Amino acid sequence: MKNIKIEVKDLSLYYGEKKALKEISLEIPRNKVTALIGPSGCGKSTFLRCINRMNDLIPDVKITGQMLVEGIDIYDKNVDVVNIRKKIGMVFQKSNPFPKSIYENVAYGPKINGIKTKNELDEIVETSLRQAAIWDEVKDRLGDSAMGLSGGQQQRLCIARTLAVSPDIILMDEPASALDPISTSKIEELVHELKEQYTIIIVTHNMQQAARTSDYTAFFYLGELIEIGKTNAIFTKPEQKQTEDYITGRFG
Amino acid sequence: MEATIIETKTNFFSNKKKGVDIKGKLVVGITQVAVLLIIAILFVILGIIVYEGRAKFSWEFISSFPTNGMTEGGIFPALIGTFILVVVMSIAAVPFGTITAIYLTEYAKENSKIAAAIRFSVRTLAVVPSIIFGLFGLGFFIQFMGTGMDKAFNGGELHWGQPNILWASLTMSLLTLPVIIVSVEEALKTIPRELREASLALGATKWQTIKNVVFPGSISGIMTGTILAVSRGAGEVAPILFTGAAYYLATLPKSLSDQFMNLGYHIYIMSTQSSDVEKTMPIQFATTLVLLILTLSLNLVAVIIRSRIRRKAK
Amino acid sequence: MQSKSIIQNPTSKIVYYMTHFEIELEKLKNVIIKIGKLAEIQVSESVKALLSEPIEGKEVKKTENKIDKLDVKIDEICQSIFALQQPVASDLRFIMAAMQISNEIERIGDLAVSVIKRSKNIKDKHDLIAKFEIGDLAKQVELITIKTNECYLTRDENNIGEVFILNRSIKKKSEAAINNIIVEMKSHSKVVVSGTNLVILLKHLERISEHCTNIAEYVHFMVNAKIIKHDKHEDLDL
Repeated sequence: MKNIKIEVKDLSLYYGEKKALKEISLEIPRNKVTALIGPSGCGKSTFLRCINRMNDLIPDVKITGQMLVEGIDIYDKNVDVVNIRKKIGMVFQKSNPFPKSIYENVAYGPKINGIKTKNELDEIVETSLRQAAIWDEVKDRLGDSAMGLSGGQQQRLCIARTLAVSPDIILMDEPASALDPISTSKIEELVHELKEQYTIIIVTHNMQQAARTSDYTAFFYLGELIEIGKTNAIFTKPEQKQTEDYITGRFG
Repeated sequence: MEATIIETKTNFFSNKKKGVDIKGKLVVGITQVAVLLIIAILFVILGIIVYEGRAKFSWEFISSFPTNGMTEGGIFPALIGTFILVVVMSIAAVPFGTITAIYLTEYAKENSKIAAAIRFSVRTLAVVPSIIFGLFGLGFFIQFMGTGMDKAFNGGELHWGQPNILWASLTMSLLTLPVIIVSVEEALKTIPRELREASLALGATKWQTIKNVVFPGSISGIMTGTILAVSRGAGEVAPILFTGAAYYLATLPKSLSDQFMNLGYHIYIMSTQSSDVEKTMPIQFATTLVLLILTLSLNLVAVIIRSRIRRKAK
Repeated sequence: MQSKSIIQNPTSKIVYYMTHFEIELEKLKNVIIKIGKLAEIQVSESVKALLSEPIEGKEVKKTENKIDKLDVKIDEICQSIFALQQPVASDLRFIMAAMQISNEIERIGDLAVSVIKRSKNIKDKHDLIAKFEIGDLAKQVELITIKTNECYLTRDENNIGEVFILNRSIKKKSEAAINNIIVEMKSHSKVVVSGTNLVILLKHLERISEHCTNIAEYVHFMVNAKIIKHDKHEDLDL
């Protein structure tokens, strides 16, 4: 049990009357990359957003079941959602840096958490930018606006911003889908390095990306979890026919 | 016998002959005429004002008091009065309007009845004739609040229960409130949802998100709204007719309970109640010119600031 | 954060970090080099068993098991890389060649074991070897395996050429020796049993040499993207 970071038990999600997630049960291993794949509308992004309770922002959403992170149900009434989001960070599909300087973007999280001294902030900013493999490119222009960076750089900046609050888990919602191949491979390489310290869950509609980057893969279809297993097994000998059909491109 | 082959050149794109698009040209032509007409009218009006007012328009005019039964001299007190008016008006309207706009965009739920009521009120306020504001100011601020304050603090002695710059500014602020609310709301709406999500995903509370992400993004809207409000407040006369404006004061207002002179009101008085209308014509035109310059330059500043902020955000 | 593997390009002195995929490829290359070395040892032992004394059966068995295990492991690694990494261009050729080369090496190992077994059963072995000049042939077979491993390591055209030349020489010598043995068997029925065993053994050695040639062909494929399987190689400019 020590190797499991997140345990999901019969999680269901309703948009009003429509059931978008149907009794999802799975385990996310710690310090590994787990990929969520499936055709459009299968619920993988919705499920991802359940993990850091971003679906709370949508009106009319009802969630049943349990999502245990390190043994604590994050949907329990006594849990403060703000604390959850400090431990579970998210990188979005389209990079969304604040219209502030590069430094201020990365320092945003720590400042919110009460860190005020310049030295501490400087250190956190540098560490985070290094971890996101973008320090060398921006170290001389930390005061410049983040909006002047290229798409790939902005996305790495968003990753640095997420790392700056020292989360345990990083959720990535199709982080490279808007990027060119070179930037994409940089992000993939980054994911590979980050998994030593963080547990990473990545949603991608690009199966090859899931195959390249992840240790475990979960296949979703029409709101249900069809199969989850080691990526090597899923892509060489999947157990469910639906999984095989999707991976070989027979449908979806 | 060899058959002659006639080669018909078929156009790859279409078989239509290249003709003249009459309808299109007509529309363009009418639009151009309309634009020219508007520009012409504008130039004529401006031309007349500048021509008639240039004689009196000088630094002395702006900085000296009116003399000789207001047939000579300058408009300094009117300028100062207008200035104090818009400052107090802004202090009242801008924070109130900003907070309302933030509530409407950030806190109110989709189908909240309160939000709907607020929006309806704002829209209605925007179309109310400005004289009604003046009547409201008289009835509510002066006769109700003013006399109420006098009863409570001055033992019934008349101090607040009469027209002064405070009541006039508050009345004007009601007039310009819709402008501010709409401008700020528009600016807030341009902030993409993803930025709020990004902040929340980092573990910020809703209030922290508003303070650090939403509010800075709304500053351009606040500035635009304020300057539009100010330029409107500088020119409107009806709301201050019986809430505080006076046609002649020997001194500048010293406190909020004093009356004040006002540029717009000054023009009105000059053209209807002056002792010698002919003589004061140049003063009227010059005052109009000053007011115009003031309003136009304020609008220009609003545009510049807004475009600067937009460029910085890129 | 893990320390990344650094490669220094010797010519241009540029340092760059290997991606984790490149690290996987490097690991695979090392496994192939390892299995190649084991086969080389196995062949060397078989030559020793043929030309001098019989050797430890247990060691031979151990090496054979190692070779078989590595062959399976290489297949698994290649399958995984195909499925997960979608290699293209030179990476694709490298993986394809890896699978084929591994098979060839495994067969070389098997053949070496057969040689060892058979050389126990040849009466008057040393006289026959001396008579039909098999010593040189055996030494050349030992050499070709060394050269083959070298050519995989260096990917050099010259090394590939050397392998082909050696193979031709081995084939010629083997054919000559076999003809002589058959002639001898026809006239002296006493040597038929030993002779037959020797012929089969020589054929094994020939096969080892052919497998080495196949490996060299796959190396050529890796480098030049041209498939030269089944060619005679005489007209090649190697």
